[in-house]
Amino acid sequence: MTVQSAKMALRELSSLEKSLGLKKPNKYSTQGDKKIPVLQNSNGPSLSGIVTIATHLVQEARRPELLGSSAEERAVVQQWLEYRVTKLDNCPKEEIKTILKDLNLYLEDKVYLAGNNFTLADTLMYYGIHHIMVDLTVQEKEKWANVSRWFDHVQHYPGVRHHLPPVVVLRNRFYTSGHH
Amino acid sequence: MKLFVSEGNPHCVKVLAVVELTGVKCDISHVNHEERVVPYLSRPVLPALAMPSGVYLFSPNAICRFLFESSGSESSSLTNQWLEWEATELQPALAQALHMTALQGKRAEAAAALQAPLSFLEQSLRKRATPFLTGEEVTVADIVLWAALYPVLSDSSFMAGEPAQVGRWFERVGQLQACQSAAQAVLRGAGVEALKGYLQKQPVPNFQRRDPRPCN
Repeated sequence: MTVQSAKMALRELSSLEKSLGLKKPNKYSTQGDKKIPVLQNSNGPSLSGIVTIATHLVQEARRPELLGSSAEERAVVQQWLEYRVTKLDNCPKEEIKTILKDLNLYLEDKVYLAGNNFTLADTLMYYGIHHIMVDLTVQEKEKWANVSRWFDHVQHYPGVRHHLPPVVVLRNRFYTSGHH
Repeated sequence: MKLFVSEGNPHCVKVLAVVELTGVKCDISHVNHEERVVPYLSRPVLPALAMPSGVYLFSPNAICRFLFESSGSESSSLTNQWLEWEATELQPALAQALHMTALQGKRAEAAAALQAPLSFLEQSLRKRATPFLTGEEVTVADIVLWAALYPVLSDSSFMAGEPAQVGRWFERVGQLQACQSAAQAVLRGAGVEALKGYLQKQPVPNFQRRDPRPCN
């Protein structure tokens, strides 16, 4: 993880805290060369890694449904959280197309990553894919229509967007992208 | 449930060990590395777990976690932290090390690539002073890390100077029958050599990406 993406990770966690309605912001630091985010915990050991910390925040906010409502759904959520940090983060340029193609096929019959319910996987995948979506042309957004539709759902999901600018996804909508 | 595995794929050691340890019922199907099991992924990815609902799990750690949860053991934050570390820190280093050893014959360089994650593991084990990663009991984290490290740590000529606590922990987890039979089923006692076929099909690890210098 570069210094730049470490800053992004901390910003994501702060946005997640807000969207979960956590009143008291947690204290964070980073660890090692790759600047992995670390949650400082006053009454227990610290936690490191963005997925681990995000999962912990959801539990702290008592929103277990965001981690999935059944064992199977929880597994699917964990899988996409892992996908975000292993496949999407630091992905080489030539891999982006494969990721979009696979996601597009996967999302063909789904509203959200875990099916019909919005989960933490949507939030973290949205944060992680935002910089890719910003750079897509109108034609590319149409080509990956299922990804675009999912992305648009998530960016309009109450409380999710926070630190990120909106991305114009569909031709017939008039959002301003970039600075706002 | 149907679990698809392939020979010589180190990730399959993880899931097979967990299936035996938890006793969760699933049909095990041995397929070729090239088999595309998950319909929406462009590249063949194994292991994969097909659920009766039609859902596929294709991340080995998510499969292991799910099997543990199905047998009644939910993972703690500490377990989650180890699984995330394994996927984001250990795996990239291992991919490099295995590639260098099995395909390029560069053993010394491979051992060097693993030094940082192994000393992190050593420090953590020393600090906690418990027999397993998160406490007195084996969790999914121990199995996943053990299986990931198996090809290198089981080869005494490869890791001659492995850190002491890591060595003891590795031996302790390896005493589980489930771990032994999973390693045997996938690697057939051939160590790193058994991985050749699998590694040749993987994208070449991006060595530049692990440049320790911060790039602003």
